[in-house]
Amino acid sequence: MEGRCAVETLAEFGFSGTSCTPKVKSGFGIYVFLCMGSDEVYVFNTQERKLTAVLQFPGLVTDLVESPDKQLLYVSCRSGVYCVSLSFLLSRAQSSLANTSSCLAELKVSSEFLVVGEEGVLSLLLIDSVLLMLSQTDVSWVLSLYKTPKQTQSSSYEMLSSFTLPLVSAFVHEDELKTRMRRRPVLICVFHGQTASPPFSSTSSAEAASPVSHFHLKPVLFKRLFGIDTALIKSPVILCGLPDGRLCFLPLRLPGSRLRVLHSLEQPVVFIGASVVMKTGPEHAQCLVAVGELGRVLLIKMDKGGSEGECSRAGFTEGCVPGPVVCGCVDKRHLYYSTGSDLLALDLSKGSSGIEGQECGEETSAALQSPTSLNVCRVISLAQPTCSPAGEVQLLGLSIRGQLQRITLPVWRKDARMSKLPQGRCSARDLLSAIGDVYERASVLKTSIKSKNQTLRHLNQVLNISFLLLASTREEHFPIQEKPIRCHAMTKWSRLLQKDSLNLTCVLDNSSPYVLERGWTLTIAAFPLSCSPSAGGESSSTNFSFQFCNLHPGETLEVSLPLAAAGDTYFPVTINCSLTFSVTSLLGEEEVASFTGLQSGCISLPLNTLTVDWLHVLQVKSSTASHKNTTSQPNNITTADTIQAFVRSHRIWCSGRGDGGGGGASALKQEQYSACVRVSSELLRDTLVLKSSDLDPQEPMLAPHNLCISLLDWMLSDSLGGVKMGHRGDEIALSSPVVHAQGPNGDTVKLTAKEVNIGEESMAKESLSAIEVRVESSSVAAVCGLHHAVLHRVQTLLQRAPKRPASTKTVQSLGLRQALQRAECLLQQIQQSRISAAFGVGESTRQMTHSFLSVYRELRENPLLII
Amino acid sequence: MSNKIYHTLSLFDKWVQENNNLVNKWKQQEGGGDTLSRDQSQTHLKWCTSEFETLLRKIQGVPPLADHTQLEVSVVYNACVCFTAQSQFTEAELLLKQATERALQMAGNFPVASDPPVLWRTVLKSVENTALNSCVLYLLCLQWAIWLATCQLKMIEEFQEELTSLVETLPDGVWDDRRSKARGKSFDISLLVMEPRRLVELLQICTSIAQGAERLSEGHSSEALSGLQIASSLPAPRILVAYTHFLSGSCLAHMSRPQMALQCYRKALETDFRCVCALYQSMLIYRQLGNTQAEIQALHLLHSTRMLPSATEPALACTHLLSPSSLLRSQSLSSLLSVPSALSVLHNLALKCVLHGRVSEGVEHYLDLLAAFHSEDHQVHAEVPPLPRLTELYLEAGTALLMAQRPADCMALCDEVISTTLELLPEKLILEELEQRNEIRDVSVEGEDRVAMLLWTGAAYLLQGHCQTHLKDWKQAVIHYTRCINLLMKVWFKKRGFQPQIPSADMIVKEGTYLSVLQKLKGLSLAGRGISFTQTDQLKEALRDLQLSLQAFPECVGAGLWCGEVLWRLGRRRMAAAHWEKTWTFSAQSSLESLPVYLQEPQSGPSLDSTELRHRIQELGPI
Repeated sequence: MEGRCAVETLAEFGFSGTSCTPKVKSGFGIYVFLCMGSDEVYVFNTQERKLTAVLQFPGLVTDLVESPDKQLLYVSCRSGVYCVSLSFLLSRAQSSLANTSSCLAELKVSSEFLVVGEEGVLSLLLIDSVLLMLSQTDVSWVLSLYKTPKQTQSSSYEMLSSFTLPLVSAFVHEDELKTRMRRRPVLICVFHGQTASPPFSSTSSAEAASPVSHFHLKPVLFKRLFGIDTALIKSPVILCGLPDGRLCFLPLRLPGSRLRVLHSLEQPVVFIGASVVMKTGPEHAQCLVAVGELGRVLLIKMDKGGSEGECSRAGFTEGCVPGPVVCGCVDKRHLYYSTGSDLLALDLSKGSSGIEGQECGEETSAALQSPTSLNVCRVISLAQPTCSPAGEVQLLGLSIRGQLQRITLPVWRKDARMSKLPQGRCSARDLLSAIGDVYERASVLKTSIKSKNQTLRHLNQVLNISFLLLASTREEHFPIQEKPIRCHAMTKWSRLLQKDSLNLTCVLDNSSPYVLERGWTLTIAAFPLSCSPSAGGESSSTNFSFQFCNLHPGETLEVSLPLAAAGDTYFPVTINCSLTFSVTSLLGEEEVASFTGLQSGCISLPLNTLTVDWLHVLQVKSSTASHKNTTSQPNNITTADTIQAFVRSHRIWCSGRGDGGGGGASALKQEQYSACVRVSSELLRDTLVLKSSDLDPQEPMLAPHNLCISLLDWMLSDSLGGVKMGHRGDEIALSSPVVHAQGPNGDTVKLTAKEVNIGEESMAKESLSAIEVRVESSSVAAVCGLHHAVLHRVQTLLQRAPKRPASTKTVQSLGLRQALQRAECLLQQIQQSRISAAFGVGESTRQMTHSFLSVYRELRENPLLII
Repeated sequence: MSNKIYHTLSLFDKWVQENNNLVNKWKQQEGGGDTLSRDQSQTHLKWCTSEFETLLRKIQGVPPLADHTQLEVSVVYNACVCFTAQSQFTEAELLLKQATERALQMAGNFPVASDPPVLWRTVLKSVENTALNSCVLYLLCLQWAIWLATCQLKMIEEFQEELTSLVETLPDGVWDDRRSKARGKSFDISLLVMEPRRLVELLQICTSIAQGAERLSEGHSSEALSGLQIASSLPAPRILVAYTHFLSGSCLAHMSRPQMALQCYRKALETDFRCVCALYQSMLIYRQLGNTQAEIQALHLLHSTRMLPSATEPALACTHLLSPSSLLRSQSLSSLLSVPSALSVLHNLALKCVLHGRVSEGVEHYLDLLAAFHSEDHQVHAEVPPLPRLTELYLEAGTALLMAQRPADCMALCDEVISTTLELLPEKLILEELEQRNEIRDVSVEGEDRVAMLLWTGAAYLLQGHCQTHLKDWKQAVIHYTRCINLLMKVWFKKRGFQPQIPSADMIVKEGTYLSVLQKLKGLSLAGRGISFTQTDQLKEALRDLQLSLQAFPECVGAGLWCGEVLWRLGRRRMAAAHWEKTWTFSAQSSLESLPVYLQEPQSGPSLDSTELRHRIQELGPI
């Protein structure tokens, strides 16, 4: 309010938002160490005002602590605690400066500097020669004590002991904690005030100031808080503030001591410190201060005399300051804390500087309600304040943009008011800079509100679409055609560089009332049902994703992707279509990183699943050509293909001969595999006619011959499950019930449909007319695939068939029983050969293969009729 | 192509090879075990376990075939040993159950009962005299290990017969025959991570130890003794044999044969010096026997062994897979084997020395103890049993220093205690009736016992008074004693239903309560002040104090004698004689052990020669 601070930017570092709280620490007199939650530590020389070195560690740096008497720097990161000596650092920095022209020395800290391999250390503290580290396991907080060696050279860090404190479910909700920056637990050390000389100041007089995290507490308060036994042996006490709000203490040298809870702030502890409180007084701190993230401030000091002979006791005063508190520090009288938007100072001496009044507690809490604004914004980390000889207090702060700032506070006057500024010019400059600051802040806020509105609108659309898609997937009976956003596809063979390849053209159809905006991605994943043995038995899926900008209602998006090359036979292929929305496009990288609850920041919504089977990938030859030379290869096949075909046929022939069975005659010819499916013609008539009559109502009843043709035609052309054969659009309808085609692996296949009558041999009273679809090819794979595909089609046909009263015709019960028996027999055969295969006894692999093949072929010869 | 087929191994051989590779890898690691840390070997063990388990799952995927039993049982054995070593008993038991059920299927029976003992009996019966028998016995071995590790000694007793026969049949089991038969083909035999013979031996002695400890804690010492004596001759690691001797000793001690018990403890220590518990128990027996010198000697030894660097490592730690410590987990055994920490032993030693006339030694030990607390790298352990409060240790040390004629050091220690507590002392304190130690304590918000604190401070003043008496600075002595008395007057006593009052002499004071300590302190300080007054010839004041002292603490010898002396000097000789006579009837040290050492009457002050007093009485003659 009255005074203004002089803010001086010493250096700028890029700052990227990370999961860990940044830290600024001054040490070794003139150096400042900064870790900003990355794997680097910056060493900044405040005298020369330049960056001395950058230390790069193998993992995220969580905390650092320096040992002033030994000139060592301990740094904890994910894989353990590293120790770097200052002299080494400076010499290396200089040599690397000499070698390279760059003005920055980047030093990689490798595992040779690792001193303690404890993982997940969050905070460090050094007391004399004991190094403490606090880490978190699944169930507890673990405080481990290590003894540092006397000589710097030796590297034996002996573990002295470790203490655990069970975790409690945090007061702040778990999810909330996750989304926030991970707060480092605070560790400080409190000494008994009577200790003649603090252990650090005795060694080096120049840096007499004890480390930031060491405080000498007034003896009475110390005894009251930590017990007289602790005071008797003058044991240092470790105070630790946990993110769950607990303040714990541990007397370091007391036998049988354990971590005990002193108080709970019920919000993450941001800072613990001790302040002398009185302006002129003993050196020992009179007051312990702890600050929580949401602004709760706890002051612990001695209450002077109560009623009727009660002795003095420790008073715990809690108050609240407007939060959130990002960081804090104390000097002799003040608590400084930053809310991110302002730096504030609390005068702790207000309560106790007066006469030892009984209502000092109330006074203190009153003091808590009137913090003084220092008008410095965006400070996220503070180092221990220093006091210049002139009485000016200087703070080192790190701003959210990565600026290292030196904040010089105006001199406080005796009446606890700001001193008048010495010169008018200076004040004008300060005012201007303050105005500039405020303007900048305002404009940043404005743009952020704007972009947030934009984001909200966008999110609304996304949510609408998500609900739409989720609802449609939840209701399974929702037919594909009626889904508001769906995919359909078309297969097409193309020839490029003398290689045939199958392309799939996928069409995303947006018939919903919403716009698919930026950020949506169409993801298509193709899974082959089976896979080649060379792939190592792993089913390999191929993923394609297509980003698109805006897809308005009624618009379609057509993408095309290579599905298979000629020779691949892993059909049928399942095509999973899904829409993916990435939050990154909405929020930007760093914001997404802070939402750790979102895995990868993506929402994936399944659309529909398409299947590309053998029938879709057949290359049908024109009927005329197939009539001419049914046995020879098609004209357009090159010589290489011919040779390949020859070799292939030869191999089959060889294996046929090696068979040694009765198939001598057939072995001379190319072995033909076949499979058939029989469908009752009545069913076909019902369904196909129903369908065709939709198209052409005046067409008469189909003749059996026509029925065959139309069945084949339907099988080859229908867009079953959303997939269509692309090339058939220009061709005329089939003219004969025999189709010759080329499969994806180059084998010729023959599809025949003919009418048969079944029932002569059975005891049924009347015969049943049926259409038999036969698949023939020299390739087993082709026969299998096509058979599967045909069955699949018939299945859909059955689903489509109109509901009728149960057929009066007797089901071929005898045949059914036979079939079942046969199947059981086959199952046994399979098990037998599997067990013998497992132990490698008996037959060779080839024999085994043959037995499996024969079983398979028998399975295909299903005499049952589909009604 | 066909060549390749013939060279690939059958699945069975592959499995055997996989098992053997795992076992070899483990053995290698175990061989070079010193270089690896505990964590690393733990992770390795974990890895091995999961590998064995996967292998087993593969093998059990095929129906049980008699030809592959040996392989299957080997893998089950290996997996179970690994599980047991990691204390995953439920997993191990599940594996065992599956394996036995499969064994039953092989034998042509179908498992019916799910209860482990019933299942085992059926299995053992059905495979009797078949080739499967030896395989099933190996599994039984592991069941034994699990029962032992989970302290199901009842089960082991139930199967006693089978287990003993197991011990007998194992060395010439069928397994070895097969091995010798199949020596030609190397990869046909599946290896084991731990030799079954060694496992059985280990199990046998560990069972004896566990049973012995269990029976001992149930009070069946003689039964336990016979079992342990048999066990002591079994082949086993040294430390386990030492344990059998140690437990025999404990049984004998229970049967009140201390000398024989001591013999056993000695034997245990001779067998393995790491059996520190034997030393500790010997010390307790010496204490019981009243052999103070031997007790102090034992404490000495105990302390020096506890200070050895090896003492921190558990004696049972073992690089082998199944260590005895993982098998011996019973509560009763661990309580028998527990030994107090080095600091606790040191305190005991110091106190014993001081109480039994070895003051200079005791002082050294006390100073060592205090130094240990101040040293930087002193390790903080949870102490069992807990050490007394540090303040009490300071006061004890101060007393010892005074006894050793070092009053200045004693003063310094007391000063420290006083300066620590002084600021925290209450102005007035009210003691409630029926308050007993460890029951209801007046614990203030910060967790300090305010009555205890006040009494400690009083004791410190008292000691300072004693020091001044020792230095013959009577004025200072009076000052310190007065401080003590003033402090003690702050305590008020409150009977139920009455107003708080200053405790008076006619109250019945229970031993060990705060009130008793308070009265004792009051008696001693008043006596001390009275004696000091006699030295400065303030006889009236002296008589008042001494009489008040006798009111507060009637058994105070010094007060009684000096009260007589003062009366004598005042010319009331008959009364003086009566006082002396009465004082001599007090049992000299009625409650030596129950009171802290700093509350005992000082031996260093001015004394009266009782022969001379008797002489005076004689001179006085009869009335």
